[in-house]
Amino acid sequence: MELRSKRNRIQIGLLLLPGVAAFAIFTIYPILKLLYMSFLQWDLGSMFEHSFIGFQNYARVLSDETFHIAFVNTLVYTLVTVPGQMVLGLLAAVLINSIPRFRVTFRVIYYLPVITSWVIVSLIFRYIFNTEGMLNYLLTNVLQLSEANIRWLDTRWGGLSVAMMLGIWKGVGWNLVVFLAALQSVPQELYESAAIDGCGSFSKFFYITLPSIKSTILFALVMLTIGGFNVFTSIKMITDGKPMHQTEVVLTWMYNKAFTTGDFGYAAALSFIVAVTLVFLAILQFKAMKKNNDAS
Amino acid sequence: MKYTKKLALLLTAALLLVAFAGCSEKAPSSSSQQAETQPEQSEESAEVAEVVEPVTLNFWHHYSAQSAENETLMNVLIPKFEEEHPEYKINAVSHEWADLHDKILISASSQTLPDVARLDIAWVPEFQKMNILVPLDQEMADFAEVSANLLPSAMSTGMVKGNYYAMALNTNTKILFYNEQALADAGIAVPKTMDEMLAAIAALSGTNENGQQVWGLNEPALAGWNITPYIWSNGGNITNEDYTVATGYLNGPETVAAIKTLADLYAAGQFTGFNSGDIPMTDGFGTGRYMMLLEGPWKTAELAGAYPDFKYGTSEMPAGSAGSISVLGGEDIAMFNTGNKEGAWEFMKFMTSDFAQEEMAKCGQIPVNKTALESDTVKNAAYAPFLEAITTAKARPPVASWSEIDGELTAAVTDIIVNGADVQATLDELAAKVDELLAK
Repeated sequence: MELRSKRNRIQIGLLLLPGVAAFAIFTIYPILKLLYMSFLQWDLGSMFEHSFIGFQNYARVLSDETFHIAFVNTLVYTLVTVPGQMVLGLLAAVLINSIPRFRVTFRVIYYLPVITSWVIVSLIFRYIFNTEGMLNYLLTNVLQLSEANIRWLDTRWGGLSVAMMLGIWKGVGWNLVVFLAALQSVPQELYESAAIDGCGSFSKFFYITLPSIKSTILFALVMLTIGGFNVFTSIKMITDGKPMHQTEVVLTWMYNKAFTTGDFGYAAALSFIVAVTLVFLAILQFKAMKKNNDAS
Repeated sequence: MKYTKKLALLLTAALLLVAFAGCSEKAPSSSSQQAETQPEQSEESAEVAEVVEPVTLNFWHHYSAQSAENETLMNVLIPKFEEEHPEYKINAVSHEWADLHDKILISASSQTLPDVARLDIAWVPEFQKMNILVPLDQEMADFAEVSANLLPSAMSTGMVKGNYYAMALNTNTKILFYNEQALADAGIAVPKTMDEMLAAIAALSGTNENGQQVWGLNEPALAGWNITPYIWSNGGNITNEDYTVATGYLNGPETVAAIKTLADLYAAGQFTGFNSGDIPMTDGFGTGRYMMLLEGPWKTAELAGAYPDFKYGTSEMPAGSAGSISVLGGEDIAMFNTGNKEGAWEFMKFMTSDFAQEEMAKCGQIPVNKTALESDTVKNAAYAPFLEAITTAKARPPVASWSEIDGELTAAVTDIIVNGADVQATLDELAAKVDELLAK
């Protein structure tokens, strides 16, 4: 094995080059440029000549009331949709894993929402939850459970709940596929010896299945947390931040500041605050998982 | 083994080349560099009868891709322009209205703007502040001559701080659309004054035979475009005449009264349409759930497409104490300072010419060219009722911070109408904020 010879290293380097170059140009460079932008005054009046203003953009973001609302909304969205998707996805994966036939069929059915367009399903959810929409028709006219139409989309938590439901519905399939793959890699012998020791299915799940797929759970947790913070399309399509920015999330607010009012400096600072939060959360998640690992 | 490695390296190199060749090509700005050298070349080469590659001019607009306007643009106007100016080729790109605004902001920061674009009149001051537009009256020798044949009121939308940065392209305003059957059934005459309108709204609101709620008045949003006709017709205002101060105007007694009227209508269940969960405007009107609304000339085509059997009438904006004052809409055409100015100017002159304006008038665009306005096409058009309203309509404040002001205005008015916040206190607070934005 002469893998470390000079010739080989050059070859390996060359083969890695396209990937590294693409990563550098399309990921590293924009991040650095964004960091730089966040320290500049960059708005309508100074689109081409930017002056360095230190942390002023950060101060403006952190003291902005709408940012507080958007940040809390994003946090709630993540706290609800991440466990929601994971629990339902894992449940479905365990169920499908235990049936001998039709696994592929169910997998396809569960995965369908994942590959549908965000815009289209957002519009469909909007039609369902409209004040004059399908759900209200069902509740008032068919089942007669409610006297008047309920205004699902017109309040902060109503609008957000609809977006969260959409997020969970659309995300279960991805979790299912990831967890199903993990479940299939758990050694069958463990279950057999547990059965001999007299374990029921609940004990098997908590003492064998969960510990065995811990790394997959961490992977899903980190990916979904990032995904939760990146919620944009559903909110933009369903409420667009209405009423009065009450349903705004960090990305819709960033979009609004950058592309409606041209305040690029503010938007860049906002992006960085979100990125730092995400890195911090990911470190916390890794730490918590590691602690758990050491303990068990 | 060795062979495979070489092949892999070769493929990698090819991949790199392809990937980065794509990056180097900057489509929109390339034309401007070509353009500077092209005109002289074309004169010289004409003598030797060589075929010169035409210069491409990028034109961004927001005529909807499927619309009759876009058909006319692509199949009548551009071929005609290219025939008259063989040295140019037009690359027209259609965007959604809101996308075009955002796209221009992004392209400006990355210096990839097109040569010329059709802009909503409300965007001109903002783009002027960004320093991306060209002062036409200073740089184009024949500007006075060209603009003389365009409506002064429409041309005023292109003026910022004493210079013209855009030419008027088409104009519009909103008038009253009403459900003909509902008014006839209730025995109500078409409202001509604000008081008559309020009475009609009250009479038409309630429930229909299916037990569904019906609203007398609809507005699809609570932005400046939606609420200014009620404010202005009532004698109120957003700012002073110089657009420097809002306090005393935006929170003046007339503006407060106008907003209070709308809030009362909403509280009484007679006015809606701006909540996320409400029925969309055209559907609500076409299915008899919204009885009256203020809309522009494009609504005629929309209703004909979606609800061809629905009977509705139109009338001028009902007059308040200050008269019938609707909001002026429309588009301007402007060139960007990074583009091919000569070519862009030729295209702008063509688009505002008698010919182009009358062709566009045939598909519902209200012209700004005086000759085209006198034509039979315009006199017999479906939008004839709008022509009168345009003469009294007012433009939203032509200030660079309008997008931001509009956002604050929408939030404050929503707070008053939907949440029942105190009208005077909320508008006082808003006026102070707008003062700051105007001073920026």
